[in-house]
Amino acid sequence: MDKFNEILTNHISNWNMVWFGLIFWGSVINAIAELYLVNNNSIFCYLFGFLLGVVAKIRGTWLWKI
Amino acid sequence: MEDIKNIPEEFSFEKEKEIARSFSKRFQWEMILIGVGQATVWLSLWPLVINGYISLFFGSLIATICACFAYLPSHEAQHGNYSRGNPKRRWIDSFVSHFTLITIMFPHDLMRCTHMKHHAYTNNPEKDPDYDTASAKSLWEVITATQVGIKKYESIAEIFKNDNAFMKSFNKGVIIGMMYRVILLTLVVMFPLETLLLWWLPSKFGIIYLSTFFSWYPHYQADIGRYKDTKFWSHWMPRYLNHSMQLHFVHHLHPGIGHYDEPKAIEALKPFLIAREVPGAEDIPESVKYNPLIKR
Repeated sequence: MDKFNEILTNHISNWNMVWFGLIFWGSVINAIAELYLVNNNSIFCYLFGFLLGVVAKIRGTWLWKI
Repeated sequence: MEDIKNIPEEFSFEKEKEIARSFSKRFQWEMILIGVGQATVWLSLWPLVINGYISLFFGSLIATICACFAYLPSHEAQHGNYSRGNPKRRWIDSFVSHFTLITIMFPHDLMRCTHMKHHAYTNNPEKDPDYDTASAKSLWEVITATQVGIKKYESIAEIFKNDNAFMKSFNKGVIIGMMYRVILLTLVVMFPLETLLLWWLPSKFGIIYLSTFFSWYPHYQADIGRYKDTKFWSHWMPRYLNHSMQLHFVHHLHPGIGHYDEPKAIEALKPFLIAREVPGAEDIPESVKYNPLIKR
């Protein structure tokens, strides 16, 4: 159980931004696209959210760096 | 505790404590009302918005106001200002803090243990958990500091890893923090825009508001030490809109003083602060009323 907790904690610590981008921003972008686009493809919305998360992980922040 | 030589006996630390203690007894019912009230209003926004009784943008505005009111009731609980040392009333501290913090997704145990370290090491660059926001050079830096998230708490845990009581509370908070994340990510799949505008965005505004008025203004460019680590400051806002954080100085001296008793306490303690040559103490009005509170 301790090993599982350690793996889970490490995974969340390293990949939380990517998961957050995929699920949270993907869902939000998809909902906005459904409102404003006629031909919406959900996969592209979630892919865009995923990419946002990857970029944030690489940069270490969601925001502009000073 | 550092001391200034030649403090007259009438302004001794013991006398100061005695006065502070007289303001540290009242039951903080206003804070309970605000904490439980805002969280109840915030929770009720979900069915109201989802069922179309109010618009999402109006709901988002109300949620943002709720988020700005969410922390202070928890802050009183973190200092045990509801139970006042009575073990039978400790559940009130725990309940109010957990409940009010839902709006900004903060875990009570994590907030409590890090806040105690903030009081113990205020403005210490290595050990003060709030130093990132307190030392920010601009509002934008405050905003970026609030977005660091999990990395900030990892470094705090590293500093205090040998403090067992701290780590016990910290780890409990981490679990609740993860639960918030799971709930947020589940809700966003079902109600994406509602989750964004009723919870995520208002919580961000609430945390920025909190960091700006509770941490940055009172501690920015302040020194280290009991009478130096917090400063008096003024702002164009009526003090009720920044939660009277111009009085944060007195909170750092005596955290047991209830928030709504701080104006009276600082009036009573004014001669003590002048005797200790606290910058700005001479400008404390005889009667703390509206704004400007303190002209420095």
